[in-house]
Amino acid sequence: MLEIDRLHKTYGDVVALDGCSFNVARGQLLGFLGPNGSGKTTTMRSVFSLVRPDSGTVRWNGGDITPETRLRFGYMPEQRGLYPRMKVAAQLAYFGRLHGMSKSEAVAAAGDWLERLGLADRADSRLEQLSHGNQQRIQLAAALIHDPDLLILDEPFSGLDPLGVEDMMAVLVERAERGAAVVFSSHQLDLVEDLCEDVVIIAAGKVVLAGPIRELRARSTHRYLDLELATDRADLHRAFPEYEVVSSDDGRLRLRLDDDTPLEPLIHSAAQLGRVRQFSYTPPNLSEVFREVVEQ
Amino acid sequence: MSPWRSILLVAARDFRERVTSRAFQLSTGITILFVVALIVVPAIFVDDDLPEWEIGVVGTEPDGFATAVAAASGNAAVINTVGFSTRTEAEAALESNDIDIAIDDAGKILIDNDTSDQMQAAVLTAVATIEIAARADELGIEVTEIADLFTGGYEVESVAPVDEGDNDENRVFAFFVTVVLFMSIVTYGSWILIGVIEEKTNRVVEVVLGTLRPHQLLAGKVLGIGVLGIAQVLAIGIIAMSLLPIQDAFDIPSAAGSVLAWAFVWYILGFGFYAVAYAAAGSLVSRQEEAQNAAFPLTMMLMAAYFIASFSITGENPVLRVASLLPMFAPMTMPLRIAGGDAVPVEIGVSLLLMIATTYALIRFAGRVYAGGLLQGAGRVKWREAFRASDT
Repeated sequence: MLEIDRLHKTYGDVVALDGCSFNVARGQLLGFLGPNGSGKTTTMRSVFSLVRPDSGTVRWNGGDITPETRLRFGYMPEQRGLYPRMKVAAQLAYFGRLHGMSKSEAVAAAGDWLERLGLADRADSRLEQLSHGNQQRIQLAAALIHDPDLLILDEPFSGLDPLGVEDMMAVLVERAERGAAVVFSSHQLDLVEDLCEDVVIIAAGKVVLAGPIRELRARSTHRYLDLELATDRADLHRAFPEYEVVSSDDGRLRLRLDDDTPLEPLIHSAAQLGRVRQFSYTPPNLSEVFREVVEQ
Repeated sequence: MSPWRSILLVAARDFRERVTSRAFQLSTGITILFVVALIVVPAIFVDDDLPEWEIGVVGTEPDGFATAVAAASGNAAVINTVGFSTRTEAEAALESNDIDIAIDDAGKILIDNDTSDQMQAAVLTAVATIEIAARADELGIEVTEIADLFTGGYEVESVAPVDEGDNDENRVFAFFVTVVLFMSIVTYGSWILIGVIEEKTNRVVEVVLGTLRPHQLLAGKVLGIGVLGIAQVLAIGIIAMSLLPIQDAFDIPSAAGSVLAWAFVWYILGFGFYAVAYAAAGSLVSRQEEAQNAAFPLTMMLMAAYFIASFSITGENPVLRVASLLPMFAPMTMPLRIAGGDAVPVEIGVSLLLMIATTYALIRFAGRVYAGGLLQGAGRVKWREAFRASDT
């Protein structure tokens, strides 16, 4: 289990981390969310001692993180990069060896990964000779070559095409199922909602919300009412003046309500607007939960 | 994983990637071709045959005459003798330049205006030697005893401590090594500078630093590129040395064993120090364009060290003495003082210690700056900020 415990870090006047704490268990796939500049990358770098926090600790399985334990971690930083002129198989084997694998293990693992990625015939190509998409896959393989117990990925989905996103999702799920603790940051919240059960949301260097997505949504003090009419009305967005309109177009209306708002009057009013095709009352989705806590 | 294993992994990668690169192979090939051409081409055109002396002999040629003349000339000439039956014939041949000098059977050495003093002296010595040997033989004196007759049997014996060799010659050798060191640093220093920035420009640095400490990465790069550089210098040096004998005009500087050993030690230390210093300079910048600016102070230091050495080749002076204790100048100045027999052991010890300690401190410093610079983002970093930003 990875424990991030009350990390504080300032750069000059800028507070990057302000008591950030959360845990990730093995087998867990955790979405690590937060607006730009909220401290996600600083937190991730702390795990690899690329940043030394002013105070607070990072622990793995209850102990301090040493250079040896770190070898069992895999890291895909936001700033992607490998050696452009190095041959693909040699490059993967090199990263395997940096993570403590023996030469034969590393060479075998590199071969397995290239096989799996369908790039076995490109083993002796230089990285720069590969397409952008294939370079991204090699990058992921470089982080996974040693079968890490903890996998940390900073914005793994950025820059991927839809097929690449699917591949990446499959790999992350598979890693977690095989017992690794997996943490990734992303701004694509719908994707996070599909992919994982648990999220941590940080803002201004501290955790503002953490837990299973389903619970976080339910715990919100807001609910959303979706109404769809068979025929559009020009005054639809003014039909419920006492409630906040989230969106309104083409006969559809989304309202934001407090969670204790009685529904019956709304049902009654809706029925008077015309023929109702849909009337649903749901907790906020992850994006809305995110916006609610971050904008507070 | 031991720190050394990480360092060696990095070193091996840097070594292998460069040695297999087309650019490296091409530049090594061109350099070797250039060096070979530099040695072989003049040898083809330089006429290094010994001059031939045509010596006329009137009457019977004394036994061993040609050999004696050659010995007397210091084997600087090939001796051909030409027999004449009369002195008049010999004079005519001398006049028409068929011969350079002649001896007759009446105890005369015949010369003309073209006869060199060296030739004249050699012939005179030769006939004297033959005559002395002949007379000594008549008196029953062994040839080996003749030398004693000229010295009274005495020989000079020095009680001064045995000198390891000629100091001037040693200094020339030490300076020669300094020149090689200077050229090695100028060439491979920039390789290291660029190699260190490579990880930042490729943006691979964060992945790599997730597995090892920045100073290990830097030490590995310095080691990998440094060993490659020294191997290249050795390869070129060995090829050059093996070809030099075909060119008589150039003498390989020679030196006493201890001077040679010290020159080698200082070469390695100096190369190591400057390699690490270039790595530290590289750690301050993120883009290749800024590399030369970052290295400018180092280049100046290197030039200063070189000039102090070249102005001190004639002997000890106060500037040399101070410089030989400072790490940035010591590798180019201390070998000169050792070669000249001017450095006392304490000075050598202090200089060595300072050198090694500074090199180690520099690689730790560079490691911190490197990590700090990375996390500060792009652009050139003031080293103080970089240093504070990280404490790995």
